Formats: sequence, C-alpha cells, structure tokens
Amino acid sequence: MTTIRRFAVATLALLALMSVGAGYAADDAAYVPTVLVTGANRGIGLELAREYAARGWAVIGTARKPAEAKELKALAAASSGKVVVEALDVMDLASIDALAKKYEGKPVDILFNNAGVTGGGENQQFAKNMQWDLFDVVFRTNVVGPLKMAEAFLPNLVAGQQKKISNVSSSQGSIGTTKTGTLYIYRSSKAALNMVMKNLANQMKSKSISVALIDPGPVDTDMMKMLPKKMLRPVATAGADLIRITDQLTLENSGTYWTFDGTVLPW
Amino acid sequence: MADPDNRPGRRKFLKDAAVLATLGPLMERLSAQEAPAAPPATSSASRAVSVLITGANRGIGLEFARRYAARGYRVLATCRSPAAAPELKVLAEKFPLVTLHTLDVVDHAGIDALAQSLADQPIDILLNNAGIGGGAENQLFTKLNYDSFGEVMAVNAVGPIKVCEAFLKHVQAGNQKKMITVSSSQGSIGSVDAPRLYWYRSSKAAVNMLMANLALQLKGRGITIGLVTPGATDTDFMKGLPKRMLRPVADAVTDMLREIDRVDITRTGQFVDTTGERLPW
Repeated sequence: MTTIRRFAVATLALLALMSVGAGYAADDAAYVPTVLVTGANRGIGLELAREYAARGWAVIGTARKPAEAKELKALAAASSGKVVVEALDVMDLASIDALAKKYEGKPVDILFNNAGVTGGGENQQFAKNMQWDLFDVVFRTNVVGPLKMAEAFLPNLVAGQQKKISNVSSSQGSIGTTKTGTLYIYRSSKAALNMVMKNLANQMKSKSISVALIDPGPVDTDMMKMLPKKMLRPVATAGADLIRITDQLTLENSGTYWTFDGTVLPW
Repeated sequence: MADPDNRPGRRKFLKDAAVLATLGPLMERLSAQEAPAAPPATSSASRAVSVLITGANRGIGLEFARRYAARGYRVLATCRSPAAAPELKVLAEKFPLVTLHTLDVVDHAGIDALAQSLADQPIDILLNNAGIGGGAENQLFTKLNYDSFGEVMAVNAVGPIKVCEAFLKHVQAGNQKKMITVSSSQGSIGSVDAPRLYWYRSSKAAVNMLMANLALQLKGRGITIGLVTPGATDTDFMKGLPKRMLRPVADAVTDMLREIDRVDITRTGQFVDTTGERLPW
C-alpha cells in the first residue's frame, strides 16, 4: 500500500468517525439511513422494522414468505415507499446473493441479523430425544445465514454511513453461564454465532464496520409462547433495547456480547 | 433420518414446545427430572482400564493409542479405515489389548452399530479425538466456502456429542466414567485475536458448549466431561505451518494425558490449556 493510499484510508476512517460523533442529520440532512432486517415479518424483527420506520429510516424487511407477512406489508403500505418487503430465506444462500445483487450499489447502514430458530427444546434432549438432523437447520439459520448476509452485503455496508452489523444472539449462547444441560443445538449455534461474529468484528475494524451481539432476553413472541406472559418482556421493550445498544455500537466496543440492559455477557 | 417422533402432529407439538431463552427456573426443573442414577455395578477389579479413541490412525490419536497401550490399557482404536492404518496394525500386533474398529464420526448409524457391537464392554475413558481443520483457505471471510462448514461442524461438534450419546451406557459401566474431547484453544471466543478459521473456530466453540451442557446433565451420574487442548502440534493437521511453531506430538499428548488423568467430577466441564489452566470460553 502506498503512503498516499494509507493516508486516504486513514482520512476516510477519521471522517467516518467524525460523522458518527456529529450525527447524521446535522451533517447531511438529506441522507436517509437504511436498515436491512432479516426475519422482519413477526416478533422482534417486525418490531425493529416498525421502530426504524418510525425514525424515518428506509427499511428493507425480509421474510421467507412475504405473502403471509401481513403486518410487515401493512407497514410497507403505510410508509410512502420507505419500507420494502423482500423475500429471503437465510438458509438459502442463493437467495441472499440474489437480494444482494438487487441492491448492488445501494448503501446499507445497518444489517440487523434477526432471523433465527430454536429448533424446539423438546428436540434437543441428550439421551432422550436428540433430533440430529436439526443441527443442520439450526446452524444454517443461526450461524451461516448471518455470516453470509454480512459477506453478501459487505459492499453495501461499506457504502453506508453507520457501517454496523447487529446480531440478535441470546444469553443461551453464553457457555460461561450455562446452568443446565438443555437446548444443546440452539445453544451451540449461538456460541458458534458469537465466535464467527467476534472474528468478523476483528476483521472488519480496518473497514470501519462494527459488529454487535445482543441478547434480547425472554420476549413475548411466537418463539416463546409456551412461557407464562409474566416472564416475558414486551416486544416493544426488547426492540427499543436492541436499537439503543446498536446506536451505542462503535468500532471501540465492536465484538462485544451484550444483554438487553447493556451488561456484557461472558462468552 | 426417519424417526417415529417425526409425525406431523408431534412435530407441531414439539414446535409449540419450542420454549427457550432465559427460562432458568423451568429448565432447572426439566433437568432435575434427570435423577442421578445409582452407582453402577462395578466391573471386575482385574479388568484393564479401557479407552475408546476416535481418529486413532494418525497424529494425536495414534499417539494416544500408543501411550495408553504402553500403560496396559485396553485400547479400542477407531478410525474411518482400519485397512489404511498401518501404524495401528503394528500397535495391535504388539499389544493384544489393542483392537481396531471402523468408525466415521459423521456416520451416525455406524456409531450406533459400533456401540451395539461393544454393548457388553465398559469404557472408562471415551476420547473424542477425531477432528478436521476444514482448510484455512475455505474459511476466509469474503471467500468463505460454505460447503465446508457443514462438514467441519459434523465432524468436530455433532460427531463428539453423538459418540457420547451412543456410548453413554458403556461409560456409565466403566470405573473412571470420563468423556474427553480434544478441543482447541482456537475455540476460545474470549481469546480471538486475528480473524481466521471461521468454521473451525465456531465448530470448537460449539463443541465446547455442547460438552459444557453435557457436564451439567451428567454430573449427577458421576460422569466427568473434559475439554483438553493440544496446542499447535506437529501433525498432518498442521502441515501448512513452519515446524518451529509446532510442538512434537509426544509433548502434546503428554500434556493431555496428564489432564485426562487429573480431571474428575469436581472439574467436570472445564476447558483447559496444555498446562491445565482454564481457558476463557
């Protein structure tokens, strides 16, 4: 790398940092940030789409079956074109590439890797009922999908101003705080997600892209419907927490694994 | 894989039961149902200590087999292709207590079949050694080879937990009751520095999680789970690296043997380095 190029990179990085510090609105009133949310048809993903839309952002909300994503479509219909719905299955790598191709040259400020599956607690009981085929589905959705999204949309993130990848992880992925022998497949997928995203955080520093891993806590969504309501946090609260932590994500704290209240979780 | 529990109605029920997240108390109760088993009928005191090793045909696995054989242990040395394992054959000729068995840890039916064929044999130490690196060139972000992810996970994470499940009764019937997995310091999320080996590292983080869970589940049965690490070792696995960066296989195995000897139920589920110090998860 020539000195000039090195200088140029350093200058761009500095400018990016300054723009974060100053706030986008003040710098460039016309700039509308874009967030790409996977699994935006329900639960936390839908809430993220709503809250970013309410901020006036452009939202690309993906769903496996857009035809069935009634709330997301309603949000899009009422958004004057700011919210768009795209078909995407994070397990289908070709569909990720196709979507990235469609958005080629368009900046994405935040990639919100929200789509995820648990596999069902009943299906992952060691020596009782371990559905071995489930590893493939859960890992492809929870680990490979998010990483592939980051890879496919890397040029878009580089072109964006905020340059953030926010991953919905889970406290269940914390090996250090595991208390019971349960959810083997789901937990190991989240530990694996944490590992790939920690690597990515380190690798992306030179591109000024920061990466977060956030545990939303137990949230009142379809995923958790077997739990008593009183144990669950409202989805709006969880969405606001995820967005607040993503707002506070910087290159300096990139690669951190947070819970919804901002506490750092042990790996 | 066909499964009687895979009926649509049951699947729906199971999906509905997909409860998760920080449901600590509920999960504690679920776990508590797993009542600690009574101490097993101990096998004959004169029986040789037995160890089953996966991937015993070369590198670290072969050295484990040699060292345990030299101790007079019964060594169930498994590998994908015993016919293509000349060193193991030599070992088995020298030590009558060494036997060779075909096992590919991605072949679950094969794992079950071997467990069935050894049904009457207690295993004191189950040693999950088989592993693959996946090729560093396949794991460079922006050039990720997604086909290699599934293979690395199947061998390094799913294989070991499947082997533990298939041989649970054998280990339960043994005296030492140890299930040991050769992990890697590369699986320590807290120690990640330079980004590399995305697949390999995540497979080792995943197996660490699986074994940490297993340690909690099996503690009540007196089964000890160990996660040992060899350090950078001079094997085929690491042949891309300069020799001076690598430790001799014998040294790596000496360190891990010491940790395997030392680990007991009070240390179950710990992830240790070559000196026995705990590694960050």
